[in-house]
Amino acid sequence: MARRLMLVLLLALAIPGAGLRGTLLPRQAAPPPDAAAPVDRSAPLPAARSPRNANYSIDVRLDPGARALIGHEDITWRNTSAHPTSKLCFHLYYNAWKHAQTTWMREARLRGRSRARSVRAGDWGWTSVTSVRLLRPNAEAVELADRRFASPDDGNEADETVMEVLLPDVVPPGESIRIGLDWNARIPRTFSRTGAVGSYYFLAQWFPKLAVLEDAGWNCHQFHAGTEFYADYGVYQVRMTVPSSWVVGATGLERGRTDNPDGTTTHAYHADDVHDFAWTTSPDYLVRTARFEHPTLPAVEMRLLLQPEHAGQADRHFDATRTALRFYGEWFGAYPYGHLTVVDPAWQSGAGGMEYPTLFTAGTRWLAPRDVMDPEGVTIHEAGHQFWYAMVGNNEFEDAWLDEGLNTFSTGRAIEANPAYRVNYQSSRYFGGFVPWVFRDIPVSREVDENGLSAYRASAESDAPSTPSFRYFPSTGGGLSYSKTALWLHTLERHLGWPALQRAMSAFFERWKFRHPKPQDFFDAVNESSGRDMTWFFDQVHRSSTVFDYGVQSVMSETLPPAGSRATKGSAPVKRSTVVVRRYGEAVFPVEVLVTFEGGETVREAWDGKDRWKAFTYERAMRVVSAVVDPDRVLLLDIDRTNNSFTTEPRSREAARKWMLKWMVWLQDALATSSFFI
Amino acid sequence: MATIFEAFTDGWGRVLRAPAILFGVFLVTLLLAAPAGSAIRDSISGSLGSSLDGGAMADGVDADWWARFSDAATGLDRTFTRSVIGFAAVLDNLSRFLDNEEADASLAGLTFAYLAIWLFLIGGILDRYARMRPTRSQAFFGACGTLFFRFLRLGLIAAAGYWLLFGVVHAWLFEGLYGRAIRDLTVERTAFAIRLALYGVFLALLGFWNAVMDYAKIRAVVEDRRSMLGAFLAGWRFVVGHPLKAGGLYLLNTLAFAAVVFVYFLTAPGAAGSGAAAWAAFAIGQAYVLARLAVKLAFYASGTSLFQRSLAHLAYTAAPEPIWPDSPAAEALANAAGRD
Repeated sequence: MARRLMLVLLLALAIPGAGLRGTLLPRQAAPPPDAAAPVDRSAPLPAARSPRNANYSIDVRLDPGARALIGHEDITWRNTSAHPTSKLCFHLYYNAWKHAQTTWMREARLRGRSRARSVRAGDWGWTSVTSVRLLRPNAEAVELADRRFASPDDGNEADETVMEVLLPDVVPPGESIRIGLDWNARIPRTFSRTGAVGSYYFLAQWFPKLAVLEDAGWNCHQFHAGTEFYADYGVYQVRMTVPSSWVVGATGLERGRTDNPDGTTTHAYHADDVHDFAWTTSPDYLVRTARFEHPTLPAVEMRLLLQPEHAGQADRHFDATRTALRFYGEWFGAYPYGHLTVVDPAWQSGAGGMEYPTLFTAGTRWLAPRDVMDPEGVTIHEAGHQFWYAMVGNNEFEDAWLDEGLNTFSTGRAIEANPAYRVNYQSSRYFGGFVPWVFRDIPVSREVDENGLSAYRASAESDAPSTPSFRYFPSTGGGLSYSKTALWLHTLERHLGWPALQRAMSAFFERWKFRHPKPQDFFDAVNESSGRDMTWFFDQVHRSSTVFDYGVQSVMSETLPPAGSRATKGSAPVKRSTVVVRRYGEAVFPVEVLVTFEGGETVREAWDGKDRWKAFTYERAMRVVSAVVDPDRVLLLDIDRTNNSFTTEPRSREAARKWMLKWMVWLQDALATSSFFI
Repeated sequence: MATIFEAFTDGWGRVLRAPAILFGVFLVTLLLAAPAGSAIRDSISGSLGSSLDGGAMADGVDADWWARFSDAATGLDRTFTRSVIGFAAVLDNLSRFLDNEEADASLAGLTFAYLAIWLFLIGGILDRYARMRPTRSQAFFGACGTLFFRFLRLGLIAAAGYWLLFGVVHAWLFEGLYGRAIRDLTVERTAFAIRLALYGVFLALLGFWNAVMDYAKIRAVVEDRRSMLGAFLAGWRFVVGHPLKAGGLYLLNTLAFAAVVFVYFLTAPGAAGSGAAAWAAFAIGQAYVLARLAVKLAFYASGTSLFQRSLAHLAYTAAPEPIWPDSPAAEALANAAGRD
């Protein structure tokens, strides 16, 4: 203990400016680990699912009139890193919407988010910490007055989303401290899914929250417009006081309810082994309940908080949640909490489609056609985040793809696996976005639509996914984190086979649930489970921004003159056909080439895809009529599928004529509409 | 009420008894769309190339190809969206109109040309409907030419009104008023009801102005007015002076338009098939366009009928029958013969 203390003191003296604004404990300057055998302090506690090293007891009162929260929290925190620390690092997420010059607001404008441009004076929100105390057993609490805002990511001094608190003593590895905070917050009009509109409140990232201390130091990023969160697991005991008639839903389970003389009610919630706590309250919610049951998976009580205008859609929400719990549970591992709250957010609350531990927001519309998978798609996705995010707790600031990508892939697979969701069409909305129209000629496909191929194509070369997610160009993060990952996982599914990938994802899940995995942990799981070294693939899809694009350059046939030994009396003339395939992109993947001859005979060729081009030549009685690179569409990352095939009898003119005729009717109607003005 | 129905049926009679006008404007619409269609066809064909995607797009929809085409689209190609399929085309255009969404810039020239042609033809069309007898092409185009510049002047007044409606009133209603009304609203159907009510208000204002401009044109033709300011004021006076008749007839014609749209909603084909199926789908689409144009003409014809009935000079037009001058050679011969 004394040795560790000495090391930290020496470290503090040795690093000029340590602890100043914008400076975190330098990773390279961390003292060496103990000489003793390594201890995995981030392992789950005995009889617990998680390490439970960040435990919160929070009392919070909602003042709807002032749109404010008044809170007090006690945090019991244990240092699970290998090094002592002399400071704590808190996220104050609400300060992202304190004014227009925060990092979140700057990035949101860069991203082109309209919300960042339409802020009114009353929309802003913030958190103000009024007191931070070190709570010591059998001793007076010590006010920790040495607090400052830090901006480790971009040096933006106007950003106050990270607060550092210096401690009077170091906290050695494995040791715990208790901290008491008093704070109040102005609830913003909804930004980034948290806030209020009318009497609808969705409160996420609403309390001062500890960052994660890793062996390399505090991993504490500012709040960015394109990324989400990272926190340690713990036990949350939260008592929320709201107007008495209002419905409350929250992470965890309600353990008690007390009516207060002032017309308010205090709802006491408890949640074990979670890394965040979100809650919602509104006088308007309808409450519906249902149960998920499965022969081999634990039952889950589902509680749905529904907007009255969506009363008829309760079953759609429950069925979608069941779909996620079933398939994710069968494929990856069981959902262990036994309860799950589904929140149907209010219209234009902006809170839709977001995950929190044991609670998520879905999102639907008043007019929601049955043959369009909305709200099903978003419900499955957010329920699926209970597995990829809530249980496998990756760092969403740095490796957003680990939960968003795995979950997008899993969502598409779950939709495909549920026969009830086979009827799923594309749709558009008209008249202010209120009136839906279903295109029953255009089914939603998993390969293209669920994986988000268009979004990937738009951002394919924007950043390498290994770049920390918060450093992605703000508007292209989605295309990389969600779509590219889903596409390369789906490619792996087709390349390795689903059993191999399922084993890998299941192994990754089991190994890293209630812990914080890094990208290499996933790659290791795939390599180990599949028994194949796929590093060459991960180098391309994760550590590079190169694109895959294979195609057929040409198909040529010529009739050979009947000469030499080739000529036999009465035999058909021999035709020499040459198929040239080409790698247009920089990335490499082994592909097959399907060659079809007159009469329907086919030949499959294997190509390692490494060279820039390859020619296949055939001398047969029949000429080649078509060729397709990657005919089974294994390589879903191929950014131009059209050039993958070539036929000597193209129907492009026929297709073009048909679509010209349809387009002309649209144009004539548009012209007729314009003639209103004459 | 009887006058309204009489004018309505009489208007449709006038439209149907002058099929050349109906087919003429239909042909204009078709021929104007054809070159643009040809350009779209070439783009699609070029994008599909020798790919097997061509077969998929011929038989149905290859959404993957379409997405890729849209991602790379510029100019006119940007307008080739899934909204061209079936009834979505109508929803798309009406929605853009009511929500005041800017049309794609690549269509600006085409739209301008179309409106210019209508502006030219409308004089002859109204003259024909007012006279209720065939005027032959010479007289028809004579009236077109005579009235074109008058209607160009009237068009400035009309444009000012439409600019006010779409540029100022629409923004005030749908951004200002609607935005304030729904700011703290959390119930979508209430917001939709508010929007529908605002659509109603906007359409009423739009319909009023449209009717005023229609009757201004009608009075310019029927009463051979030279002053377009006078015609505008006369049109205004007629609509304001006969609100039930003018409004009722406008509503009846609007219902006729809704009926045409509804029938197309029931019959509009999807995206399946090519060859004969594609031509059949096109034929249904053309029938819809024809019906839609017929409704537009019926607005004018029934309005003309109502105006003539209301002022008790049915079938009367003050304008002299246009006489097309002889050729200089014929005139010279006539002069030589001492005809003058």
